[in-house]
Amino acid sequence: MARLRTANERLFYGVLGFVLITVIWEVAANLGLFRRSLLSSPLLIWNAAVTDFGSGTIWPHLTTSLTEYGLGFGAALAVGVPLGLAIGTFRRLNDFLSVLLFGIYSTPKAAVAPLIILVLGIGLESKVVLVFLLAFFSIIVSTMAGVQAAAERHHDIARSFGASRWLEFRSVVLPSTVPFLLTGIRIASGRALVGVVVAEELAANQGIGFYMDFFGTFLDTSRVMLGVVLLGTFGIALGEFVRRVEKRFEVWRPDIR
Amino acid sequence: MVTGQTALSARGVRMEYRDRASDARLVAIESMDLDVGDGEFVSLLGPSGCGKSTFLKIVNGLLLATAGEIRLRTNGKGREDAMVFQDAALFPWYSVLDNVAYGLVCAGVARKEARRRAQPLIELVGLGGFADKYPYQLSGGMQQRANLARALAVDSEILLMDEPFASLDAQTRELMQAELLRIWNTAKKTVIFVTHQIEEAVYLSDRVIVMSARPGRILADIRIELQRPRALEVKRRPEFANYADQIWKLLATQAAPVGPS
Amino acid sequence: MTATTFRVIAPRVRRRRSPIGRWYRRNERSALGLAGLLSFFALWQIGSMAGWIDPFFFSSPSDVFTAAVEEVQLPRFWEDVRYSLTEVTVGLVASVVLAVPLGLAIGWYRRVSFTFDPWLNFFNAIPRPAFIPLVVLWVGLGIEMKIIIVFLGGFFSIIVPTVEGVRTVDRQLLDVARSFRASSRRLFTSVVIPATVPFIATGVRLALGRLLIGVVIAELYAQTKGLGVMIGKAADTLQSDRMMFGILIFTLLGVVTTTAAGRIERYLQRWRPSMNVVEEGN
Repeated sequence: MARLRTANERLFYGVLGFVLITVIWEVAANLGLFRRSLLSSPLLIWNAAVTDFGSGTIWPHLTTSLTEYGLGFGAALAVGVPLGLAIGTFRRLNDFLSVLLFGIYSTPKAAVAPLIILVLGIGLESKVVLVFLLAFFSIIVSTMAGVQAAAERHHDIARSFGASRWLEFRSVVLPSTVPFLLTGIRIASGRALVGVVVAEELAANQGIGFYMDFFGTFLDTSRVMLGVVLLGTFGIALGEFVRRVEKRFEVWRPDIR
Repeated sequence: MVTGQTALSARGVRMEYRDRASDARLVAIESMDLDVGDGEFVSLLGPSGCGKSTFLKIVNGLLLATAGEIRLRTNGKGREDAMVFQDAALFPWYSVLDNVAYGLVCAGVARKEARRRAQPLIELVGLGGFADKYPYQLSGGMQQRANLARALAVDSEILLMDEPFASLDAQTRELMQAELLRIWNTAKKTVIFVTHQIEEAVYLSDRVIVMSARPGRILADIRIELQRPRALEVKRRPEFANYADQIWKLLATQAAPVGPS
Repeated sequence: MTATTFRVIAPRVRRRRSPIGRWYRRNERSALGLAGLLSFFALWQIGSMAGWIDPFFFSSPSDVFTAAVEEVQLPRFWEDVRYSLTEVTVGLVASVVLAVPLGLAIGWYRRVSFTFDPWLNFFNAIPRPAFIPLVVLWVGLGIEMKIIIVFLGGFFSIIVPTVEGVRTVDRQLLDVARSFRASSRRLFTSVVIPATVPFIATGVRLALGRLLIGVVIAELYAQTKGLGVMIGKAADTLQSDRMMFGILIFTLLGVVTTTAAGRIERYLQRWRPSMNVVEEGN
């Protein structure tokens, strides 16, 4: 009962907050409390959205960004998960690569962006590679963590009943890794988005990052904000989606004992 | 099956290990000689750290002893022993049915066949109807029943039980003790049961092997002459109290005594 | 009749180890890790010299080293360092000073947190670089823009966990304090704040990582001053050795901040049973 009430309350105040801020913002803009060219207003942003979506000018940018994101992220998953499983399983390999991985993991990948753009140009490839790099290391690190987090007790059970190494891997290691992998994916999804935007802002002629950069130079605040809003919405939607999936597999997480 | 034969014979089992932190050599088990006959229910009882669980793990093959030898009577088919673990004993990603069938799958039985064989055991331990549920949907007692079913499924001669009821509350624990005897009556296995509760050991066993504190060795081998089948109310009988008292006095000489519970 | 055959479980055979063998066993992990690092540089160097790796794009370690030695002797380099450090310090301090009290306040008043939660989550979900065109619009390309970007990264990283921390304070602890007729203020200082500290610590850890990214991105974009600019300019002039040097500096910074952040967080969380701490990278 109390939970239902809280959920409703949360929704109510959330919506209230949204409405309030939007209204205040709009009113303040109309009252001339600040220059519209600086801070825009909800209505102006909405108009910009309607215009650009209606005329279709924004779609190429959206599809480009999404493609870069999808390709890079997909590649990171395809390469990162198996590698993470392998490295996590073989202790010696893990130790050998540990310092290297930590170093690369700690490097802000954005610092490598100019190098990538230098090598691959301003087209799709450089963005995909940057997204890949950003997502890859989150995924591989979390997969490795997952492999090692498999409960000692569960390994004991497998060995106690005489499971083959392959069966032990399938029945203990893989399922234990899933919750960690999902967390890694959630983190990677945010990182990858950063990659898309950074690469596009630095050197591109398409994409949401480019869109914002372009209209920024023309002082078109509404469109810049539109870009921000779109990105934020995408980020939340994605994060929420992964969070739901994470929750469903939360029971698989080995308890810390 | 009680054939009067020896199911397990241990001689001079010793377990040492090197403590990672202090780099000293610690002795978990000093020396153990033990014979367990077919169909016997034997308890290993002792204070924490006395090596009783370690012994079980050595028998099961999870640890390698430093010295000594253990002989298990084989019957040519499959494993001689199966372990019932203390806690975190079920895989959260498998249903009860798949968990119970796991031991068979490990032994090479096809999944479908393993599930078929697991089903009657689920009934036997009183979990009928819960086969499709997942561990997080079961209470502690129910999870341990599934744990037991899994060990029974592989149809080994010897059942190794490592404080299986330790994480249960008092009432559930008593219930499970009675349930265990009922199931054991039907399944007729040889059981080596590890516990640190005197009452539990006396209630369940034919023999109680009392162990010393670390380094572990056997202090006494006490035969429990209470009639079977034993209902829970046998715990109120004076004979029962005598056994418990006898063991309690023995353990009181150890550094970490355990009271009758 | 069953045959009386036995399976025998025999003891472990103990091997004697030489002193070197014993040392290796104990330090295997670090030894291997070091080996990995050295192999990486060795391969890189060899690859460069053998021509497998195009030295035009990826200078060899020796070239990077020489470039580094030259760079650190230039006053311009240290100006850039100071510039970047200023951004980081001001941005970090500002974000902590603002985010912690605000976070505590928002988290404490239930209705307020419900109202602002969506906004906070929304802004937290926006990739940091997305703010750049907007901020540039407002304040230009100077150091203010970078400080703001850095600040934004830190602010949202800290405030979101702080709010969550306040809200998830164990009810029991609050009830205990209340039953002792603790005033609201005392409740706050003795229960809520200590309980929230681990969450704030997590926020600071995340912030440190995001700050670094903020610095890099903002400087790369603006191309005025700072270490990020060194990378950008080197890229433009095709001086890959300087570019690599720049990247390595950020690697070093990244390693330092990640390690420091991890230590700080663990220290502040020491009274807590360990949690699943999955690291966020850069």
